[in-house]
Amino acid sequence: MLRNKSCFLLALLIMMMPTIAVATSYNGDHSFDGTHRNEVSGYVVGGSNVITGTFVGFEASYVRHLSSHWRVGGDAQMQFCKQLYSIDATAGYCLPVKYGHLYLDGKVMYNRYNRWNFNETIINLSATWESAYVDFRLGESLIHYQSVGDGYTEPLTLTFGIGANIRHRTNPWNIGLFFRNYDDFYYENWNINWGIRWYAPLPHDMRLFGEFNIRPAGSMSQLATKYEGSVKLGIKYKW
Amino acid sequence: MKLSRNTIILAALVAIGLSSCDKVSPIGVLVSGTAVEDRVKMSNLYYQKYLEEDKAALVEDEYTFLIGADSHVTTDPGRMDEMFALGLEADDLLYAHLGDIADTKPQYYITLDSLISEARGRYIEKHYDVKENGNYYPIGSDPNDPDNEITPDDLIFPFFPVVGNHDITHNGWAMWSNIFHSSFYEFNVLVKINGKYEVDHFIFLDTASGTLGKTQVDLIEEGVLDGDEDEEGYHYRHTFVFGHTNIFRPSSMQFASTFAREEQFFLLNQFKKWNASIVFCGHVHAWDEREFEGVTYLTLDSMSEDNNPNPGDYLVRVHVKKDGTLSWEKVHMNYTRKKK
Repeated sequence: MLRNKSCFLLALLIMMMPTIAVATSYNGDHSFDGTHRNEVSGYVVGGSNVITGTFVGFEASYVRHLSSHWRVGGDAQMQFCKQLYSIDATAGYCLPVKYGHLYLDGKVMYNRYNRWNFNETIINLSATWESAYVDFRLGESLIHYQSVGDGYTEPLTLTFGIGANIRHRTNPWNIGLFFRNYDDFYYENWNINWGIRWYAPLPHDMRLFGEFNIRPAGSMSQLATKYEGSVKLGIKYKW
Repeated sequence: MKLSRNTIILAALVAIGLSSCDKVSPIGVLVSGTAVEDRVKMSNLYYQKYLEEDKAALVEDEYTFLIGADSHVTTDPGRMDEMFALGLEADDLLYAHLGDIADTKPQYYITLDSLISEARGRYIEKHYDVKENGNYYPIGSDPNDPDNEITPDDLIFPFFPVVGNHDITHNGWAMWSNIFHSSFYEFNVLVKINGKYEVDHFIFLDTASGTLGKTQVDLIEEGVLDGDEDEEGYHYRHTFVFGHTNIFRPSSMQFASTFAREEQFFLLNQFKKWNASIVFCGHVHAWDEREFEGVTYLTLDSMSEDNNPNPGDYLVRVHVKKDGTLSWEKVHMNYTRKKK
């Protein structure tokens, strides 16, 4: 089972290679653009989940670019029906390289799954390589969840993800695909999310963005069955 | 940058090719065979129609039962045969299997079906005598008491499996359900001690797809598996839950549970609500034992001779004693693959 998963990831890496070779230098999507030190964004999320049925929620994010390399930020969300409330703090270092940007990020996250009376704390460290058209992330998560009576700490969990856009990342609009085992407020194990992401320009340093996210249950030989589908729609503003 | 269409197609074909083998559906990431929703609907219909009225076993003493996981039967069913022999020798009340019973090829299921028929025959031979009219009665009981008379069709071989992910690849559900019928059911074991009844509850879940699915969640929330504790005016002494997909991860070298976060929490709460004594899982092919909120979780290693060629402690036997106390032990298997 492990060998097949490794082969699949290897094949995806092979798929990326021609793209990497011809990528050009650009200003990274998450790096300091030299002008706007602050970014604020928010989105509405709605979807359907096997356990909770239909759900809706709101998210808000803030990023402060301290320098051309360092940035800090925080995110929060409320998802109704699921009764999921989350908050996190992030810090990252950006290292521009010729064909892209290398980001080293740390995140500390707290999730309150109120419906089941569970609290979850996650520490994640990731390295993201972002080129003009593709991005690739590898990392590790330490996940601990706690109910009223007991707690459990997962052994270290691999974080992985890739994404690809059809246009150069500096283009005002874009659309692409992603394939990963995490989302903004969870890190899974071998459960893989995949879907479509896009963004489009709005006036006054604003951007419209969205995602259509399929979250299957199980993975690979578990014959992935639908677990959750969701749509995000949001606005980002820089100043 | 130009990403050639041919490059993308080639890479996709390589990815599909590399992920293809007998055990992995090449498009399994994207689509399912018989989905959990349909499996549970079929299982529940069968359970309601054929099993619900005949779902209690009666014992008058302490009893044991034997559990195995991930036998992945192919051409050599030696370990499954050994499990049946061990249960027969120890007079276990029942067998439970935690899924991935066979790899999904028709010939493997023909082998498995024959094996189960033989085990059933040995079980009946040990526990029943035949009357002149062709009906059976339990050995040691009064053959002239009509209450003891059982027709051949009503003889139950107490082997209770759940479905695993490898049982459903390549439309394996058609073969699995043809033999075992239901992957979602429950029954009671009534223990008559000093004229009074104690009741233990056995629950079997379909977790083969890494999710219960909406139908199964709804049925669980409706209380379909809660049993008839309140109606009959007794309280369950013990509840045992059996499923394929592991809840906890044995170590960082093994696969984690593939239940998504919300489902993991739903299940942990549900096991607590059922007041489960032990939850049994398989799937990950590694042993794990832990307690969470008063519930014991045992994840069994694979009993398959392919995965574990050497003899080892791959089964678990649970002892339910007269006074209601529980204990369990690992059971050693000796069978090794025949040399070709």
